[in-house]
Amino acid sequence: MKNQRSPAAAMAFTRALQEKLLLKMKVFFFTMQEFFWFSIRAFVAIPKAKQYWRDVLDQAKICGADSLPIVLVSAVSIGALLAIEVGNLLEDFGAKTMLGRSTALSVIRELGPLLMGLMLSARFGSRNGAELGAMQISEQIDALRAFGTDPVAKLVTPRLVAALIMFLPLTAFSDFAGLQSAAYMAEHYHRLDPGIFWNAVYPRLVAKDFVVGFLKAPVFAIIITLVSSFNGFSARGGTSGVGRSTIKGIVVSSGLVLIANFYVSKIVLENM
Amino acid sequence: MIELRQVGLKYGEREILKNVSLTIKDNTIKAILGPSGVGKSTILKLMLGLIKPNNGQIIVDGTDITNMKETSLYAIRRKMGMVFQGNALFDSMTISQNLGFFLRENMKLPEEEISRRVTEQIQFAGLDGYEEQLPESLSGGMRRRVAIGRAMIFKPHMILFDEPTAGLDPVSSKKILSLISSLRNNNNLGAVIVTHIIDDVFNVADSVAVLYKGEIIFDDVTEKLHDATHPFIRSILSDKILEL
Repeated sequence: MKNQRSPAAAMAFTRALQEKLLLKMKVFFFTMQEFFWFSIRAFVAIPKAKQYWRDVLDQAKICGADSLPIVLVSAVSIGALLAIEVGNLLEDFGAKTMLGRSTALSVIRELGPLLMGLMLSARFGSRNGAELGAMQISEQIDALRAFGTDPVAKLVTPRLVAALIMFLPLTAFSDFAGLQSAAYMAEHYHRLDPGIFWNAVYPRLVAKDFVVGFLKAPVFAIIITLVSSFNGFSARGGTSGVGRSTIKGIVVSSGLVLIANFYVSKIVLENM
Repeated sequence: MIELRQVGLKYGEREILKNVSLTIKDNTIKAILGPSGVGKSTILKLMLGLIKPNNGQIIVDGTDITNMKETSLYAIRRKMGMVFQGNALFDSMTISQNLGFFLRENMKLPEEEISRRVTEQIQFAGLDGYEEQLPESLSGGMRRRVAIGRAMIFKPHMILFDEPTAGLDPVSSKKILSLISSLRNNNNLGAVIVTHIIDDVFNVADSVAVLYKGEIIFDDVTEKLHDATHPFIRSILSDKILEL
């Protein structure tokens, strides 16, 4: 009896699993479709940013000036750590004079922009997700639509424009702070003459190194702003829904920042 | 005039509205009565084009808005003002900024005209002296009055109220209901009131539609509600406040 029933139960289980997977895939593709159109709307509304210049300035302050301390702290700490670890490694090969070169490449091409992206994903992205999510559940976004204002143009495009503008100088500050802290550790930890350190940095940096690093800034700006805003707009189910959408925004944007970091480096380094 | 013709709406497998037909005439107050979660607020959102029905038509002043694009809907929406259940005021803006926000956004009016209209709405809502306060510092009734003032800022033909007295104390509820009556009597405005409080219906509405399990089971002048024989209506007439 048991043997007769188990194939039917297994089939029912498989069918239920298939249906569940199919539903999940459907939801995923619908979400991707919605995200695509949401992004298009945000870009199409960029000319309207002039109308919302105050919002652009507010957001520029939030993602720029207000985010500077956390970006600098992370850049300084990673620059210092990099100098210590890479310096130790190079010392084994008798190549400590190359510390400036190796640190500069790591900071400018990879770690400066990447850390800035991750920090802003947590800081700027979480703020976007929570603020827009709260507006969504309190019907403020519906109110904008009901009174004839495009909520994407009013709420998302100013954030996007501000991020596109501010992420570039933030990358520069991040690189600068990372290199300065690396130079400091090179001098005081590895007893390397600053002249040797900087001589290995500046004359050997080429345009490609800066293109790799600075091209990541607008890519991260787009990812972080659109993903966090989209999740805020999709918030449902009260305050816990806002929490869920904020977390989802941070997790997805951080993951995409890491993936984009790899592909931007790969594409630029292979083609320049 | 707003018309819903055989409107149906589904969320996934759940059928929210089944062939709902309603007509809301200008200069009249129509109540939509029903228990919580039955789809009353959804009807208001359909009237504004904030959500699209699965079937049927929505006609506003002779224009079919059912499949209208978002950008084309903006002009239609300005004919109606909406008072949301939670007021949906912008919490980072002062009362006068809340009232003037959509005028600055959508109408190319001189600043003096905007100030004049904002002052007019502040006086209408009885909120003189609160212009520079943030919404969070006002009582529930005052916030509702700001939301009503904001709904009237474009001088619409019709105002849609989502549970206008929900969560308010009896005194504030009375003030809001008299404000709604004065809109029709003094400003010649029509209104749609979505509510689950039957006393509100008898206090202000000229006609009432009762929504039950996604269907309209009664649609007539308010006085005739007492003659209705549907068991659900009989039960709500005795209980006064509807709960699922």
